[in-house]
Amino acid sequence: MTDVEELLKRQSRWQKSRASLSWPAKIRIAAETREDVAMFRRLGKPLQRPVTPPGRPRV
Amino acid sequence: MRDVAVLLNDLKSSGIVLDYALFGAAAQMRYTEPVATPDAEVLVVVPSPGRLDMLAPVYAFCATRGFVPEGESIRVGAWPVQFVPVFSPLTEAAVRDAETADFEGVPLRVVRADYLAVIALSVARGKDFARVLALLESGSVTRDEIGRLAAAHALAEAWVRFESRFLDD
Repeated sequence: MTDVEELLKRQSRWQKSRASLSWPAKIRIAAETREDVAMFRRLGKPLQRPVTPPGRPRV
Repeated sequence: MRDVAVLLNDLKSSGIVLDYALFGAAAQMRYTEPVATPDAEVLVVVPSPGRLDMLAPVYAFCATRGFVPEGESIRVGAWPVQFVPVFSPLTEAAVRDAETADFEGVPLRVVRADYLAVIALSVARGKDFARVLALLESGSVTRDEIGRLAAAHALAEAWVRFESRFLDD
């Protein structure tokens, strides 16, 4: 197994272990990360637009 | 979310909504690991479902409590809350059969795992399929239970396709 595979397995185990937290604890985690997730989504949007203006050939 | 629970119970006891149940990602987290979600989604049964402004009394009630609109939601503490009137026999049944959970000492009605899975199956976006898989993996619902509920709501074919795509070897 490569280091990356081992890292991903560890990450997956850790993430699944969080299912055993109490529901209010999980809701608090989701609330704390909500603003960050929204920010990343906003940052991602401009990347989906065409880089060059319409009608101008791309270099 | 405790403030959300208090508000929802007040909406129900005041007769503004006949019933409600939390659904979507916030409800899913009862069973699975935490997941990212922009808001808390709540199914509501309103007294006048045919009106175009059927949610106006809900928004007006929230305003009297100091909770103001934020986009399509009402901001309650840390959470934008999106009120979704029941829109099908499946969502009506999901509210009717919802469980009453305890959220930090406040009762909060929540859609059951099997209904969460079948609602997700009916919506059928990528993240909804991921929700079905997460619920199955959590052990909160079985394939048989989803299959039975899906068949009761004309989603048997969608469930067979899902099983074939994601579960069968």
